[in-house]
Amino acid sequence: MAANSNSPAQKENQARFAAVNRIEAGFFPFAMISPAVILILLVVGFPLLYSLYVSFTPYELLKPNSLNFTTARALRNYQKLLNDEIFWRSLLNTIIFLAVTVNLSYVISLALSQLLARVTVGQSVLRTLLMVPMMFAPILVGMQFRWFFNANLGLVNNFLISVGLIQEQGQIAWLVDVPLGMITIIIASIWMNIPVMTIILLAGTLSLPSETFEAAEVDGASGWQKFRFITFPLLAPFSYIALTIMSLDIARAFDIVRIMTDGGPARRTEMLWTYITRLAIEDTKFGLGSAMSWITVFLSVLFTLYFFRQLVKARIVQ
Amino acid sequence: MNTRSVGPNRWRNEIIWNAVAWAVLLLLALPAFWIIMTAFRPNVEINTYPPVWIPKRLTLEAYANMFGLNPDVQQRVAVESYLRNSLLASGISTFIAVSLGTLAGYAFARFRFRFHTTFFLGIMLSRAVPGVALSLPLFLLFNRVGLTNNVLGLAFVYVAVNIPFTAWLMDGFFRQIPKELTESAYIDGCGHWSAFWRIELPLSLPGLATAAIFAFLAAWNEFQIVSVLARNNAAKTFPPGLFAFTEQFTVDWRGMAAMSVIMMVPAVIFVILVQRNLVSGLTFGAVKG
Amino acid sequence: MIRKLFLIVLMLALLSAFAVSAQDEAQYAGLDMDLSGITIKMANIGGGQYEVMYDAISIFEEATGATVEIVALLDGFAIDQKLKVDFATGAADYDVAWDHTSFVAQYTPFLLPLQDYFSEEELAPFSPAILDAATIGGDLFLIPRHADISPIHYRKDLYEDEAIAAAYMDATGEALTVPTNLEEIDRQARFFVDNGHSTLGYTLAGKEEALTGRFYEMHFASGGSLFDENYEPTFNDDIGVAVAELLAGWYADGVIPSDTTSLLWDGVAQYFCNNDVAIKLEWYGWYAYFQDPDSCAVAGNFGLARGFTGLSVGGDAVRPSGWAGAHAFSVPATAPNPQAGVQLIKFLSSERVAYEEALLGFLPTRGDVWDRIIADASDAENPLDRERLELARIQVGEDFKTPPLIAEWIPFSNIFYPHLQAIILGDVSAQDGLDAAAAETREMMADAGYY
Repeated sequence: MAANSNSPAQKENQARFAAVNRIEAGFFPFAMISPAVILILLVVGFPLLYSLYVSFTPYELLKPNSLNFTTARALRNYQKLLNDEIFWRSLLNTIIFLAVTVNLSYVISLALSQLLARVTVGQSVLRTLLMVPMMFAPILVGMQFRWFFNANLGLVNNFLISVGLIQEQGQIAWLVDVPLGMITIIIASIWMNIPVMTIILLAGTLSLPSETFEAAEVDGASGWQKFRFITFPLLAPFSYIALTIMSLDIARAFDIVRIMTDGGPARRTEMLWTYITRLAIEDTKFGLGSAMSWITVFLSVLFTLYFFRQLVKARIVQ
Repeated sequence: MNTRSVGPNRWRNEIIWNAVAWAVLLLLALPAFWIIMTAFRPNVEINTYPPVWIPKRLTLEAYANMFGLNPDVQQRVAVESYLRNSLLASGISTFIAVSLGTLAGYAFARFRFRFHTTFFLGIMLSRAVPGVALSLPLFLLFNRVGLTNNVLGLAFVYVAVNIPFTAWLMDGFFRQIPKELTESAYIDGCGHWSAFWRIELPLSLPGLATAAIFAFLAAWNEFQIVSVLARNNAAKTFPPGLFAFTEQFTVDWRGMAAMSVIMMVPAVIFVILVQRNLVSGLTFGAVKG
Repeated sequence: MIRKLFLIVLMLALLSAFAVSAQDEAQYAGLDMDLSGITIKMANIGGGQYEVMYDAISIFEEATGATVEIVALLDGFAIDQKLKVDFATGAADYDVAWDHTSFVAQYTPFLLPLQDYFSEEELAPFSPAILDAATIGGDLFLIPRHADISPIHYRKDLYEDEAIAAAYMDATGEALTVPTNLEEIDRQARFFVDNGHSTLGYTLAGKEEALTGRFYEMHFASGGSLFDENYEPTFNDDIGVAVAELLAGWYADGVIPSDTTSLLWDGVAQYFCNNDVAIKLEWYGWYAYFQDPDSCAVAGNFGLARGFTGLSVGGDAVRPSGWAGAHAFSVPATAPNPQAGVQLIKFLSSERVAYEEALLGFLPTRGDVWDRIIADASDAENPLDRERLELARIQVGEDFKTPPLIAEWIPFSNIFYPHLQAIILGDVSAQDGLDAAAAETREMMADAGYY
């Protein structure tokens, strides 16, 4: 019953998904995916189309008559954004933020997973501790870290004062100074990302065949060499799963930024998300905000697509 | 190689590894300890300088205030309705999202059909749409059909938001199930549906559990969409509820911490219950392409 | 017989005395209508300090038979955002919305004009200046609840210490007295910080409308104006540059806190509360908090003075500072029960409710309530309680100045404050920063159809 003919096209297909042979089943699979597809079209597709339309109008929330499409003005919002220095600045900030957060989260989680793989005392307690950040809603992460990094009453400064690292007058303005504001937000985001990434990499590390390591040890490989030439390459598929999950979830960081600095001060931490909210709701310029949303959607999709391709590649290697 | 010098060296290394691991993880968990302490300490110990690191006494005042047990303080925070709405929106949406996502995941893992890749990527990419871009147009549309301020409307959105990740996880899971099993099911005369329902679905329970946790936590913690769609307490969940403690001039940190602790309870229960599944659930498909 | 008559007279006298004293109690209003079965929906401001208002609502429910449903309880800025979205989508299905003089101009097309619902007598007790700020294009859109304005708060210990005064005399050649203008504040604040008398010289909120408002206030006090009569931005004039440079200098020299640009009202107040700030402008609304020794180290150690006049660059045009606003209620045009909503507003702004709230330290908007609380305070234990009210009445009466009542106030503020923050933090020069803000503002105002 299972279709197993090996036409070239099918081979290609097989390699692309590196999965078990798929079955030709006519209408059935469409019936299985259609509820999901229809729902997503309704809840995501339809509003997005609407906001695409709005992005070509000068719509302002409190001026109902301004929701009015004219070809002459259609591209005005996009033109405006391309000439908007703040837009470019927030785009740059967003890219820096994403690049640093994703890479550092990965490096830290990788290190942590190697550390945890060697622990012999209290493993299960440690793994539970590892999952603590998972229990926090992003908005709560933002509120807590804003409080911790408060210059006047925050725990971090008070700790530094009490151990004598800084003077009482020299409180560090964590959420203000360049680049501390950005760094503080990044710390909070990394903290939130660590558990899932570390769990995946830890499970990967533990699943690696021990014979390989024994052979390497006989050859006299150092700890670093073993990691560099055995563990790290073998972890690749796990790494890409971790990175894909993270890229799908990255927008959660918006809650953190909004709560911690809301893009300030002086737009030093302004990102696309905070700028959209300010434009679309506070300033009621919904058309302009929609245009920017669309640019953001476009970028997020590119970002996710990239990790996805890497994941598929890594699976083929396996 | 002199084994006598390696022995103590190993011993020393192991102590260092363990000590470092413990130190790092305790630091990682510190914010949670701090929140829990804040929830149970007297108000005078919060926002004081120098800070009180270890509470002098513990109190349940914050909870008494929150649940209206303190006659001196009028109850202002609708914890009960946040709890009800959070449970309803997260519970309903998790059930539906996992069901639909599993169906879709199975189709992607097992069947060949036209536009397979297009559909798969399309569903995945819908997840990449940022909440800011979605919440306002959704509000304008929902408002026309009367779905704002409505827990079911909210659950409806969360289903769509959670399907992609669920479908992706389940796709990986089904692929892990040995194809011989499926083949023998077909040889026994099963149709597509009964092969799925009777043979493969029961085998993917660990995957279902993982998908359910992620879907539940995503809905439980979601803020951007609910803060736009829920205009009053009839549909507000915990995350926008936290803002009830941000007042005109001040922030009631203790009340907020107290509610945060309540908010974390389901997450804690989940993590404890399924810790093991979580690990295997997240790493499907990496071991076996 | 005479005895009997005497008793009757006595009783009558007692009764009438009773009646007079009853007359003398502050009265509720708005309870004279049967609203049984009606549910009034309300979007209200949240906060522990508004407990009296929340409690009063149940009295209203009992007397009129109405049910009041609070559909939202948020801080002021969150209500502003909620109202915008609700008005835009026609979702404002409530009868009473909390409002503010700084916000109201944005939503006038979506609010119900209230002048026809209130008699002249009912409006007479309210301060004319505030009713003026509540009237746009001839329509009254707000009924004010309480007002706020800022006096100078200063730490008494710094001004009562003879050694400090002598050192100040040596350093500057002038006597150390409570400052009356910005230049004196500048000299004194710097002196206190440089000589270690106070951790900080001054504080101000450093973001959002709070920062825009404080700049506007200093600029205004120095004789400036944000816009000219055609709504062309003029805040980048010499006065604006001088004010911005003053703030940037304070930040660079540690006169104001290093995290100024992330401070809102609570953060600013906390510094003063901790006894870390020498001088500052602060809202009257914080008085009870500052005077509570359990919450604040500064309790008993501060004095109040009228708002400062501005920088001398403004020449003869300098005037006392007085950024002010009033919390208020309004009725959405889409309210299902506007009359019932109006009744609730009449009740919540009545003499009695306003008086009870004023006892907590809020500044009333009604003349009758002013008379009462000043009379009450005449035998207060702390003389500052009375001085405060007298000072506040002068400021509300003479210095009350709202920001420009245009719908673009908040969008303007969102353009302006990041530029001012950049100036304060030293990222750009005052002139360049203000010029950039003016150019953006001009574009925004042009888009909105001003020129």
